[in-house]
Amino acid sequence: MIISRLAGRPVLLAAGLVAAFVLPWSIYPPVAMDIACWALFAAAVDLLLGFTGLLSFGHAAFWGSAAYVSGLIALHTGLPFPVAVLGGALFAATLAAPIGYLSVRLRGIYFAMVTLAFAQMVYFIANQWRDLTGGENGLQGIPRELFGIDLSDPFFFYYAGLPFVLAGFLLAWRIVRSPFGRVLVSIRDNPARARALGYPVDRYKLLAFVLSAFLSGIAGGLFAISHGFASLQEVYWTTSGQAVIMVVLGGIGTLWGSAIGAALIVLLNDYLATAGFEEIGIVTGAIFIIVVLLFRVGIWGTARNLIAAHTRRREAATSPDPGAQPQQEDINTPAPQR
Amino acid sequence: MRMLRRSVALATVGALLAGCGGGPGGGGGKISDGAVVLAVLNDQSGIYADLSGRGTIEVVRMAVADYQAKYGDKAVAEKIDVIAADHQNKPDVANSKAQELYDRQRADVIVDVPTSSAALAVATVAKNKKKVFLDVGAATTELEGKGCNKYTFHYGYNSYMLANGTATAVTRDGAKNWYVVYPDYAFGQDMERTFTAAVKNSGGTVVESDPTPFPNDNFSTFLLKAPDLKPKPQVVGTMQAGGDLVNFVKQYNEYKLRDQGIELAIGLMFLTDIHSLGVDALRGTRFTDYWYWNANPENRAWADRFQGKVGRRPTAAHAANYSAALQYLEAVQRGGTDNADAVVGQLEGRKVNDMFGRGGTIRAQDHLLIHDAYLAQVKSSGEVKEPWDYEKIIKTIPAAEAFQQPSAACRL
Repeated sequence: MIISRLAGRPVLLAAGLVAAFVLPWSIYPPVAMDIACWALFAAAVDLLLGFTGLLSFGHAAFWGSAAYVSGLIALHTGLPFPVAVLGGALFAATLAAPIGYLSVRLRGIYFAMVTLAFAQMVYFIANQWRDLTGGENGLQGIPRELFGIDLSDPFFFYYAGLPFVLAGFLLAWRIVRSPFGRVLVSIRDNPARARALGYPVDRYKLLAFVLSAFLSGIAGGLFAISHGFASLQEVYWTTSGQAVIMVVLGGIGTLWGSAIGAALIVLLNDYLATAGFEEIGIVTGAIFIIVVLLFRVGIWGTARNLIAAHTRRREAATSPDPGAQPQQEDINTPAPQR
Repeated sequence: MRMLRRSVALATVGALLAGCGGGPGGGGGKISDGAVVLAVLNDQSGIYADLSGRGTIEVVRMAVADYQAKYGDKAVAEKIDVIAADHQNKPDVANSKAQELYDRQRADVIVDVPTSSAALAVATVAKNKKKVFLDVGAATTELEGKGCNKYTFHYGYNSYMLANGTATAVTRDGAKNWYVVYPDYAFGQDMERTFTAAVKNSGGTVVESDPTPFPNDNFSTFLLKAPDLKPKPQVVGTMQAGGDLVNFVKQYNEYKLRDQGIELAIGLMFLTDIHSLGVDALRGTRFTDYWYWNANPENRAWADRFQGKVGRRPTAAHAANYSAALQYLEAVQRGGTDNADAVVGQLEGRKVNDMFGRGGTIRAQDHLLIHDAYLAQVKSSGEVKEPWDYEKIIKTIPAAEAFQQPSAACRL
């Protein structure tokens, strides 16, 4: 049974990679790039929400500031886009250090509110600093270039940008699978106990916060380069909310669920807008309510539980082994919120 | 299994989207993809949905019908498609939608695009894709200034026309002292600058000029202060737009400023704003309009056609979109092709004299359509004879005075 579980994982992984590679063949390439960027952003939020127990409502600050910084680097220096994206991500991580330092002492709703407040500060700076950011007109005409290769065709840019997203996912996956990630989970479940065991809880939270901001920064920078545009929308609080919604839809604490949530929301927005449907919010809102009421662990979480239950039943039927172990990764799934 | 389901879903959505897009046509010749595709990109669900929105799709169809009726068999564009997308007034959405319209939906021209930031985003896309963009809905003068480019045209109105028209006319009429209130973002600041300059040039004084938060629903601090300013202003000029304007006017009435001898002048107002506020709230208010449906029999005849399709009276934005689409098709006809460079060549310097653009010229230097504008006044309820009959045209502002000189910042 362990063998079958281990064999299942590479199959899923391969299927995921194939899906990521064929995406721009089946849908409009810029939309495919949007899905990739949002998936990484949502995974970064999930790293905090699902694995550290911190609901950040201010991640737009990192996604957005990286979008602006990447855009400015590409626009004014003409450096190839990977440099611009990394520059943006590093800026986001640097910005996250002081914000995280001040916020991680708080818990629950207070943490969410303080991060929201910081994100709004970033929003107002971006809005007022018109000479640099273009204010509400946004930063326009960001070039897409890689050592003289013109990547203005979105189809090719998808493949140029995809490695960054995959690397980001790999990093997130490594983080949650590392001893460091285990400590984060223990902090999520019982911070007092973790502290009693001698872990500097606040420092762990801060590091998780900065790493999450770095990943958000990669996603935001790529997003800006992909659109050739960075606007105030990127630092607006609804962007933070959108990422949280994606995480909840896909399944908190699943990491891969974020990609499903992102694909669902981006495709839905694109499809409804193209079909001329006026009230996109009603549909997204309704889906959100249904998922929260009926599938509390999200789409991927529910699917995983169903598969696990199915496997257990089959195993119970074939070998009446009373010591069937519970799924190992269950410890990553937080108890449903009350 | 998850992946399978997901890719099936993706493929389905992809196929649906491709189906909507129409795909590349087989036709060669002078019309790309065998059809001329006009795309309307505007706000179809938000605050500007009433003043242009879906009505604009209808007027573009009217322009197509008129073109086909006029040229019949001789029409260069045998097949004409009208498509539309909603940009929700967000520059990022406008940016990606514009790329999509030009690439995926094979649009040859995009029209409308209200909201200045969205319009500037689409202008950049048009420049990169080398496709024609006729902006009607946005007010910013940056479209014919710093942000101008070879493929972008600004058709209808701009913030200079609005602010300059109202401020000059009302000041010359005797209102020497002004109190100006404006929302603190690019549009408001732009309007305030032009407005103040026009008041000064006409011999008036701006006693005070206050920025307000944006968006904002409580203007009491500003309105209560107005009567106590020294010297006391005769007019309060508001640069607020949309929902903020509605709140401002309501509160102006609640504080009874009109009874204290302070008139109201508005920077940007559309017929639909008067409709939602009611004429009583706005009685006597002066503002600049650039087309009014009941101004003359020709406009009225067109407005009747519009009403037959949409069920209400058209705004100036509707008329401007109709004219823009028609001028585009005429340019295709004259040039014999929908090639963007050829169409731009046909439009530059073109004299426009249709139902909308009286005395109009598409300026070759900055691609701005200059045409007659009008100083309008809101009727009192006793003067309103039929639904949507809200405006009195006081004066025509000739094309040469209505718009600014070409900006040195514009290099096409």
